[in-house]
Amino acid sequence: MENLLKWCTDVLSNPTWFYLLTTIAKLVVVFAVILAFVVLSVWIERRVAGWIQDRPGPNRAGLPLFLLQRFGSKEEQPLKNLLRFLGCPPDGVIARLCRWLRFDREIPTFGLVQPCLDGGKLFLKQEITPSYVRKFYFILAPMLVLGPPLVSAAVIPFASWVQTPFGEINMCIANLNIGPLWIFAVSGLSVYGLTLAGWSSNSKYPFLGGLRATAQLISYEVAMGLSVIPLLMVFGTLNLQEIVHSQAESGWTLLPLWGQGLSLQRWLLCIPMFISFIMFATCIFAEANRTPFDMAECETDLVGGYHTEYSSMKFASFFMGEYAAMVIGSALVVTLFLGGWSIGFGADAALASCSEWLAVACQFVTFLIKLLAFIFFFVWVRWTLPRFRWDQVMKLCWLVFVELAVLNIVLTAVIIYFIH
Amino acid sequence: MNPAISSLLFYIFALAALVSAIGVVSLRNPVSSALSLALCFGFVAAIFFNMGATFLGITQIIVYAGAILVLFLFIIMMLDVKNEEHATGNLGYAVVGVIVAGMLAGMISSASLQLPGATDGRCPWHAFTDAFCEQLSVDSCSKGNPVPQGDIQAPAPYGGSLPALNPEEQGSDAKLLGENLFSYYNLTFVILGFALLAGCVGAVSIGRRLRRD
Repeated sequence: MENLLKWCTDVLSNPTWFYLLTTIAKLVVVFAVILAFVVLSVWIERRVAGWIQDRPGPNRAGLPLFLLQRFGSKEEQPLKNLLRFLGCPPDGVIARLCRWLRFDREIPTFGLVQPCLDGGKLFLKQEITPSYVRKFYFILAPMLVLGPPLVSAAVIPFASWVQTPFGEINMCIANLNIGPLWIFAVSGLSVYGLTLAGWSSNSKYPFLGGLRATAQLISYEVAMGLSVIPLLMVFGTLNLQEIVHSQAESGWTLLPLWGQGLSLQRWLLCIPMFISFIMFATCIFAEANRTPFDMAECETDLVGGYHTEYSSMKFASFFMGEYAAMVIGSALVVTLFLGGWSIGFGADAALASCSEWLAVACQFVTFLIKLLAFIFFFVWVRWTLPRFRWDQVMKLCWLVFVELAVLNIVLTAVIIYFIH
Repeated sequence: MNPAISSLLFYIFALAALVSAIGVVSLRNPVSSALSLALCFGFVAAIFFNMGATFLGITQIIVYAGAILVLFLFIIMMLDVKNEEHATGNLGYAVVGVIVAGMLAGMISSASLQLPGATDGRCPWHAFTDAFCEQLSVDSCSKGNPVPQGDIQAPAPYGGSLPALNPEEQGSDAKLLGENLFSYYNLTFVILGFALLAGCVGAVSIGRRLRRD
């Protein structure tokens, strides 16, 4: 046992092995969280859609209890036995409440099983590759859509850092000095997937969808890049971990309530920051191809857009790619504008002085809660706004956002230069 | 980064970039050509990353692979360009091509000869072999000049200290570029900006005239 511990210490003392092992651990955690959030955001989408449209949504996909009997359990009704064990009368208030909540028939999961069942359905469907497609690119395209969002998660910090006896662990897979640019670059590559899907399908509607996707994504990438510049001017760095750290110390970008955030300059800067936030969030919607902007796949005029010819798991990877892009986009907005992992009000420093591991755990949970809240906002927008017309989408980008972004940069520069 | 690994990666990426660049001109399907050009840009960006110029590398991906090439692809698909017909040999094209390529090669080689370490044996290959010899402690290898780490300076127009060899200055890549661009190269930058603006205006005017017909 002691030998084993000594061996572990030896391995961890080697900086290369330490770096490798911690990076792999972070990779596994982040990848698992993103995939779980993809599933979770599908569920949120359906429940919120049901809620907004005044219908139940998928709330019944539970684990039915007759499965227990199927697998050989002799118990007729687990609920009745449980109630008897707890000493509740079989037709009292509690028993009736349990029956109303259907506890006697299933283990309630509030429909959380639904996305898994959807996945299973897509997995079992027949895979059709039409004979007229360009096969190589037809198979390549779904990969190019699903891959980039997962890769771009590498630079998003999900907690602060921890000092261990073997070295510092930065809770960000790759602490690059070009964080936001890395995300723009990598997620910009997913346009290849959409374009190739449209072109390789070799039929009219997918092709139109592919062309629309290209035009829309490139246009909104320009507006997105310009809209985030005021924020970078304020923080003076491109490192996402440093941006979040300075937000933890002196107030979130949109909520400067503590530290140095209480100065007049920071409060005036809230105006350009808010404009920037609106534009950036809208561009994220457009980049993720979500409904007010889903020109590339709008079923009212293009059947299914670029993925009309796809079926089964290839279609599922487009589907997952869209949701992964939504999760990463939300994470980026949270990181840049809503304080990332910071708990706020100086709680980060207080927790870190108590125990660094505790602080990191709390920050991770805070980040996930913020992420969930923004995903909810994403879904809310989708089910509230109707789809725009194609020319309106392009006009919004080139005639409103680009000009507004440039003016916003000038405004920020004026505030930073003149007001101290 | 370890010079040996750095050099090894350089040769791998350079080879991959060359292979995909050959693919651009040799593949018959225009879409395949365009995608292989995207791959080439990606490998060039990887070379930039390897040298510590992260900002330059990411700009390469954003601007070229992410925007310009997608527009190429867009046009190729819109025009529905068919596979290339059998190549027609023309002596005039060949001569002009050789002249242009020669001028470009001359420019690149003259610029790279001015870089530090280009003429006194500190090019990546030597750095690689030296480090390799040190690792194996084989004395039979003829050692060139060993690489003094941490104090290698590029000439001023190339931006002072080299981030790849001075790891403590790695954070300032974007800053370094910006300072050079807006001070030393400011005039060139403005002129190029006007040239691009003129190009945009010209394109818009041509597009409008066509639509009125």
